[in-house]
Amino acid sequence: MVKTIFIFCILAIFTMALSNTNYRFEKPSHFPEALYDFSKNPLKPEIIELGRKLFYDPILSKDSTISCASCHSPFNAFAHTDHDLSHGIRDQIGFRNAPALFNLAWHSNFMWDGAVNHLDMQALAPISSHTEMDEDISNICLKLSMSDNYQKLFEKAFGNNNISGERVLKALSQFQLSLVSAESKYDSVIQNLTVFTPQEKKGYELFLKHCNSCHSEPLFSNFQFADNGLQIDTTLNDFGRMKVTQNKADSLKFKIPSLRNLQYSYPYMHDGRFKKLSEVLNHYVKGIENRPGLAKDLAKKIPLSSTEKVDLIAFLLTLNDKKFVFNKEFGFPKLDK
Amino acid sequence: MRLLLIILFPIVTFAQESQIRFKPTFNAHEIEIGKSYPFEKRSISIENLKFYISNLVIILNDKIVFQDSLPARLIDIENKISLSINVKNGLKFDKIVFNLGIDSITNVSGAFGGDLDPTKGMYWTWQSGYINFKLEGKDPLCKSRHQKFQYHLGGYAAPYNSLQLISLNLDKKSTRAEIRLPIDKFLKAVNPQNQSEIMSPGSRTVELSAILKQLFVVRSW
Ligand code: HEC
Ligand code: HEC
Repeated sequence: MVKTIFIFCILAIFTMALSNTNYRFEKPSHFPEALYDFSKNPLKPEIIELGRKLFYDPILSKDSTISCASCHSPFNAFAHTDHDLSHGIRDQIGFRNAPALFNLAWHSNFMWDGAVNHLDMQALAPISSHTEMDEDISNICLKLSMSDNYQKLFEKAFGNNNISGERVLKALSQFQLSLVSAESKYDSVIQNLTVFTPQEKKGYELFLKHCNSCHSEPLFSNFQFADNGLQIDTTLNDFGRMKVTQNKADSLKFKIPSLRNLQYSYPYMHDGRFKKLSEVLNHYVKGIENRPGLAKDLAKKIPLSSTEKVDLIAFLLTLNDKKFVFNKEFGFPKLDK
Repeated sequence: MRLLLIILFPIVTFAQESQIRFKPTFNAHEIEIGKSYPFEKRSISIENLKFYISNLVIILNDKIVFQDSLPARLIDIENKISLSINVKNGLKFDKIVFNLGIDSITNVSGAFGGDLDPTKGMYWTWQSGYINFKLEGKDPLCKSRHQKFQYHLGGYAAPYNSLQLISLNLDKKSTRAEIRLPIDKFLKAVNPQNQSEIMSPGSRTVELSAILKQLFVVRSW
């Protein structure tokens, strides 16, 4: 009896080891631990691939015209550069700029105001929004179940072809979690593979002094919320975080965005008000509106000469990750016959 | 193996099934969807009633005798099966404890399946969080479009955490319990005429969730 149990256990362990084709999330060595709990959604190449299919498929919208990629384009580091405010279904205009998507496993909150608390649940927002995709997750499951191709893909990914909201969301998360950007020049410098030019180095020092408290390296954000003194756009009256917490102290606070891949992800800020980095720096140097909620770190003037601005921009450009933006594995998936 | 069968057989056949039934009522009658009910000199109807219960435990003499294997259940009057919960056969109990709604840990832990699958329509989309309790219907005095009222109660984050711990003592030890939820009393508290919609977490959702907590009544049957 004991012997059979023993043999059974050995066999079980052996088969578990064999079937464990789970893909390890590759954390860049100079990054902190990721926040996403992979034990609840273990990465698997087939699930990532399914997520990629879904991300690029307009089937997620009511009239099959808008996919996630309509607003999050791979060539823009998954932001959108044509519009300051995002454009959705039937050409409706949203009220915020589509942020770039990468290194999402390290984010603690999602959306400019942190309305979403977990990457898995994020997709429900654009899917259900009347101005974005105007769909419903249960109807998406229905549409997907009518596709032989998706049935096969779910089977491959999850072992059977049950199509549930949970699976759709987890697959979308997996693809998005795979979007790691950590191969910019900055990353090579940090790993001692190359060096900054003297100008970039000066810019780096200015960055550490004036920007790093919020846009903290190596992710270039601490993912907190702050009021960086942008003048309020009265056509939008977007008070940011306050809408979620209903706390006055959070008025005009927005999620601090990463500064990686800025070359690809313009225009900048939650409403896409700035097209160029020079405009962003002009804001920090002389545009900040002093008001009660303004972040303490920005209360004192940031005095940057015009050469210093150029230096700082030179540094910011070392955060562009061309390999990430042109990585074929993240692009439009191959079409199935 | 045969021995096991001989032992099990009588238990399976003779033990009475233990069960908890949820019975949402209007003027003391079990609610039927779409039916008109007299309410304060007018007649109103219920079109949708769903709520989550989670972490259900059953107690006898202050000891937990049964713990639900499911983390949460969606009680939906349109889905009759969801109204009854079978517990271990023959089990007697004198107290039932559960959460009305979904706890904050579950609310921040990503996607779940089963009754917690977002296709169940009990998840806010533009802002994270489960809807703990959903009641929709019609009242001729509602000023809203189509005279509809819609109450979506939920919210897990302080200070607007709407989760309620419901603890119900039975009048006597029993294998069966019926839990009633008088919706007419809830509507009296909200007054659809004054407020036809509650769609997001806030102080009002917390208030109304606390009122719901007081309305549950249990009896053995
Ligand atoms: C119509 C344009 C549009 C579509 C379609 C769209 N998004 Fe977005 N996305 C946005 C905008 C705008 C925001 C910022 C919203 C806000 O802050 O309120 C955003 C935010 C996000 C975020 C949060 C990023 C962060 O840093 O907080 C993620 C993740 C995301 N979208 C993924 C998706 C996925 C997945 C899909 C497809 C299911 C999708 N988006 C479809 C415009 C869009
Ligand atoms: C107090 C925290 C804080 C400091 C310090 C700070 N920022 Fe920001 N930054 C923010 C916030 C918050 C936003 C988003 C604001 C919004 O959209 O409303 C932002 C947005 C940006 C953006 C737009 C990025 C995008 O994708 O839209 C750039 C670029 C930027 N900051 C650069 C800098 C630079 C350069 C410095 C240093 C000179 C700096 N920031 C200092 C908080 C800060």
